[in-house]
Amino acid sequence: MNPLAVSLNRLQLKNPVLVASGTFGYAREMAPYLDLSGLGGIIPKTVTQQPRIGNAPQRTVETSSGMLNSIGLDNDGLETFIEKHLPYLTSLGTAVIVNIAGKTIEEFVQMTERLAPLSGIAALELNISCPNVTGGVDYGTNPEMAFELTQKVMAVSPHPIIIKLTPNVTDVTAIAKAVADGGADAVSLINTVQGMAIDWKRRKPILGNVIGGLSGPAIKPVALRCVHQVAQKVNIPIIGIGGITTFDDMMEFFVAGASAIQVGTTNFFKPGQSQNLLQELKAYVEHTNLPSITSLIKTLELPTVKKC
Amino acid sequence: MPTTPRQVTAPVEARAIVVSNVEIAAHTYRLRLACPELATRFQPGQFLMLRLPGRTDPLLGRPYALYDTYADAQGNTVGFDIGYHVIGKQTGLLTELIPGQVVDLWGPLGNGFPQFTGKHLACVAGGIGYTPMIAMTLEALGVKTYGQSTTPASPERRVSMLYGARSKSHLAQLHELESLPNATITVATDDGSAGHKGFITEPLDTLLAKGEVDAVYCCGPELMMKRVAQIAASHNVPCWLSLETPMACGIGACFSCVVKVKEDSEDGWDYKRSCIEGPIFEAEKLLLS
Ligand SMILES: Cc1cc2nc3c(=O)[nH]c(=O)nc-3n(C[C@H](O)[C@H](O)[C@H](O)COP(=O)(O)OP(=O)(O)OC[C@H]3O[C@@H](n4cnc5c(N)ncnc54)[C@H](O)[C@@H]3O)c2cc1C
Ligand SMILES: Cc1cc2nc3c(=O)[nH]c(=O)nc-3n(C[C@H](O)[C@H](O)[C@H](O)COP(=O)(O)O)c2cc1C
Ligand code: FES
Repeated sequence: MNPLAVSLNRLQLKNPVLVASGTFGYAREMAPYLDLSGLGGIIPKTVTQQPRIGNAPQRTVETSSGMLNSIGLDNDGLETFIEKHLPYLTSLGTAVIVNIAGKTIEEFVQMTERLAPLSGIAALELNISCPNVTGGVDYGTNPEMAFELTQKVMAVSPHPIIIKLTPNVTDVTAIAKAVADGGADAVSLINTVQGMAIDWKRRKPILGNVIGGLSGPAIKPVALRCVHQVAQKVNIPIIGIGGITTFDDMMEFFVAGASAIQVGTTNFFKPGQSQNLLQELKAYVEHTNLPSITSLIKTLELPTVKKC
Repeated sequence: MPTTPRQVTAPVEARAIVVSNVEIAAHTYRLRLACPELATRFQPGQFLMLRLPGRTDPLLGRPYALYDTYADAQGNTVGFDIGYHVIGKQTGLLTELIPGQVVDLWGPLGNGFPQFTGKHLACVAGGIGYTPMIAMTLEALGVKTYGQSTTPASPERRVSMLYGARSKSHLAQLHELESLPNATITVATDDGSAGHKGFITEPLDTLLAKGEVDAVYCCGPELMMKRVAQIAASHNVPCWLSLETPMACGIGACFSCVVKVKEDSEDGWDYKRSCIEGPIFEAEKLLLS
């Protein structure tokens, strides 16, 4: 038995190290830096039904141990994705998880239907939490709508469904519970944390879109907290995302309750790091004779809190 | 055509050892790195991403252009130089690097300048933008080769280097080019403390009016590049610009480095990633803001 294998309801992965949407291009760009076939899964950049030009530059800015982005889902639309990128992705020998975003429930359902008969797709990840897109309703912040969306997509999808959640809510467990009730196979936590950067001397916001999403090591504590809270309250497999750079970062997410992880911003400054993390994980499992990585998941020991 | 697109090799991730790090002009340094993996692949106009290991602030790599490669006593290409201008977080920390320390790199990246196969090339540089012009000139004049490139040599080929900076103290010495009979150097400073007083675009206009130059390559501040593109267009000389769009990854993964490139579409343009489709673009294909 492969000790690194994990299953998230209907989604089976050969190992728990994935790469996050929007941080790995369409995978082709990353091919010089690592063996793509080794990864547990690849999640290409979010696709929308129609092409989107994205936001005006400046689109990213570095902040302390992190970065803000307002890319705005720049992509060529679903048909071009299916024609131009999907054949390459599905040839790589790893799980391809297609990340989609719709402006309406109908758009999500139509995109899901379009992808339904296509072979080689391991799962869909629904980006219901992109902070950079105006116009659409933010399904990621409203439990009723998140439930309805999940249910309707589940009804037409032969593929496992992962819902990617935003941390920009008061109670992330309420949304996680709603999508679990809607039948989702798993949730990914977290998308970026809303933020802003200002050039005070010019009295101007630095990002073209004014507000953007914070990612990188700076958000790891927020991500760990979200994974922990959902793991404690909701019975649904979790994919942990947020600031994962080192082996220890990754292990913290497993212990908090994640069954798998995604490497995001780190791909930008250490293009081969996802492969390094996987190798370190393999070495750890061998060294400790761990029969299965799953025995690490949600092993956090909480203090018994006395109320005063 | 006086130029042909360059064949480039796949990039690699590598660790490099600092060989030297010297100030060559005001706030301008030349950093020599031992790194055969990149050095043997690097071509003029290409860049790398450089990162200081062991820290998360600054977090991202920063792009720097190839200045020149160097060889060991046996003639093997073992490393290269970059030039950097100190403006912020990372470039500030680079000044503290001492020989023996290591930095992380990935590259070579980008398309590089097209290979120059014409008769007379004008290289126009503003500030730190002069560094990629050194390797470009050495290659065009057949003095050196880089990576896979094999520009057919021609004894008649000439390069005019036009180099502008704020003042004399901001000008770096162009030792590599000074002794070359087919290279001409023209300098301009804003305050007239060296060379022509004013912008380098003025001597460029005069040079192009003679009708001998068959291509212009330019790297410098945005305003200068815009002006250079206008002048080249007015003389009907093809012009390539090396853009310094801010980059987060340098490898095409993040979509942050986009520039407007003209296209047969509804809007007449589309965003292209400067790091993989550039950083060098033909000026007439760009929609400069
Ligand atoms: C393809 C390419 C090649 C380059 N080659 C060289 C080179 O050979 N030598 C060199 O010195 N520089 C080069 N640059 C520019 C260099 O990458 C930046 O100067 C560097 O990233 C600054 O890093 P920093 O951490 O010191 O500054 P930061 O702390 O990141 O920024 C300081 C200030 O400078 C501004 N800034 C940062 N980058 C740029 C930029 N590209 N254009 C305009 N303003 C900017 C920021 O907005 C901020 O206000 C190149 C850029 C590109 C895209
Ligand atoms: C430049 C950039 C672009 C992103 N684009 C997307 C996207 O298109 N779709 C999506 O679901 N998440 C996107 N994300 C969010 C990441 O997938 C990830 O959830 C987030 O960055 C947190 O992880 P990290 O700290 O490891 O980067 C993007 C993040 C960055 C930095
Ligand atoms: S810098 Fe990331 S895509 Fe160009």
